[in-house]
Amino acid sequence: MQTSETKVTGQKRTIVAAVMILFCIPLTIAIGILFLNDRSYYPISLMIILFATLPFAMVFESRKPQARELVIIAVLVAIAVAGRTAFFMVPQVKPVIAIVIIAGVSLGAESGFIVGALTGFVSNFIFGQGPWTPWQMFAFGIIGFLAGLLFSKGILSGKTLPLSIFGGLAAFMIYGLLLDTAAVMMFTSTWTKASILSTYMLGVPFNLIHGASTILFLLILSRPMTEKLTRIKKKYGLVEERNDS
Amino acid sequence: MRATKLHADAFSGCNPIVNFMYFAFVLGITIFFLHPVLLGISFVSGMVYSIYLNGGKAVKFNLAFLLPLMVAAAVINPAFNHQGVTILTYVRMNPITLESILYGIAAAVMIGSVILWFSCYNAVMTSDKFLYLFGRIIPALSLIISMALRFVPRYKAQIKRITNAQRGIGRDVSSGNVIVRIRSGLSILSILVTWALENAIETADSMKSRGYGLKGRTAYSNFRFDFRDRILVVAMLLFFAGIIASIALHRLSVLYFPAFVINVPDGFVLVAYAEYLIICTLPLMLDIREDLIWRTLRLKIVSSGNKSSNGADV
Repeated sequence: MQTSETKVTGQKRTIVAAVMILFCIPLTIAIGILFLNDRSYYPISLMIILFATLPFAMVFESRKPQARELVIIAVLVAIAVAGRTAFFMVPQVKPVIAIVIIAGVSLGAESGFIVGALTGFVSNFIFGQGPWTPWQMFAFGIIGFLAGLLFSKGILSGKTLPLSIFGGLAAFMIYGLLLDTAAVMMFTSTWTKASILSTYMLGVPFNLIHGASTILFLLILSRPMTEKLTRIKKKYGLVEERNDS
Repeated sequence: MRATKLHADAFSGCNPIVNFMYFAFVLGITIFFLHPVLLGISFVSGMVYSIYLNGGKAVKFNLAFLLPLMVAAAVINPAFNHQGVTILTYVRMNPITLESILYGIAAAVMIGSVILWFSCYNAVMTSDKFLYLFGRIIPALSLIISMALRFVPRYKAQIKRITNAQRGIGRDVSSGNVIVRIRSGLSILSILVTWALENAIETADSMKSRGYGLKGRTAYSNFRFDFRDRILVVAMLLFFAGIIASIALHRLSVLYFPAFVINVPDGFVLVAYAEYLIICTLPLMLDIREDLIWRTLRLKIVSSGNKSSNGADV
């Protein structure tokens, strides 16, 4: 029963995503080329990021999630936000990706995305919203989604070491690359190899710290956190709860 | 400016729909159109409003963070972008063009304006306003956001209680060697997470028993949409439409490459500039209007002298 339901939500998301990818994103690019003389990379990239986030939000809303699921997600978001504020003086040391990956693995890809995206959004009520918010939301979200997806397909094991390695790579490659791209889009007018490369090179030390800290957080947190989430799921039958809806 | 303030920011007191629309329009035009005059208007009004809202903190922030960022953006463009027909000089065989310098300055002002407007957004659009706006469109996600925002301070308070209880049984975080301290710190976090999850289930069950998710439930909100809000929304829509029309008719156009070309400032264009200036300075105008009202009220109170409390119910 659960598999059939996830299939349905998966299909819905595929349809919404297809509309976005085949219609909205090309339309945005076309408008950009026609009206903005093809020089406004930043607004166009911002719109694309928003369109990429929308399908997840729409599917989640249309599923009408139960109260228990909502509150568990809110708890994980709050823990990640509190973790980010606890380390605010140390640049790039944040446990957000670690918690998002744990959420994706224990609650599923869908919830992983929601935990990630909302952590980006909510923590910026404390750190300040800005043009970087949509990028952070999408980067955190897609990492949670990938973690959940790879875990459910059996590619990623739930053990501490593989999770930590995945977390380090995700922080360095996915989060780092996406936010450095956002910086390139915002600061430069043309996409030259030199400007892109130099921005990525400038980002490397920061992304290395972020990756290493994520590995460390996952080494410490992944086992106890997963155990606690599994326990709560078993004790209160959260999986069944989702089925009867 | 802050010290002489007579009242809270008038624009923050408007309906969240007005606030959100305002920021969407101003940020949208700032990000999408790198037109020098529009950018200048946006930058100056964003700067003035951010200082009005945040006082000395804003000035410090602008000098320490915004200025270096803008200088960096202005320098990066001509260094990497060699388009343009007016070559000023060569740096290591690479041409530095006037057009790329102009573009760099425009991009820098754009980035500066966006950050200034977001600092205003952060002061005006508090989380309760966001939830009021999006509670109906994305109810489940809004509920998570509002719960997470509530949980963060709650967990901080709970950490204190757990720490005290642990100290009572001899597991003090402030004693012992580093490893012992880290271990007791981690066990506090572990207790917190277990408590948070158990507590969450309780909250959820309580919500369910009170009818969460049933049909016909309404949400409490503390905002009304009054006459002033209606006028502001209509005015903003009109001016915004005017600006979009001038852009669509190619009256507000600018080209940086290959050569810098800008539209002729005829009457039509001047009207569009004025419309944008009015949109951008809308909150400031509201505040000035409120200032005047308060001043005249005060004068009335003073002039009415000892006529007891007549002035209070104006």
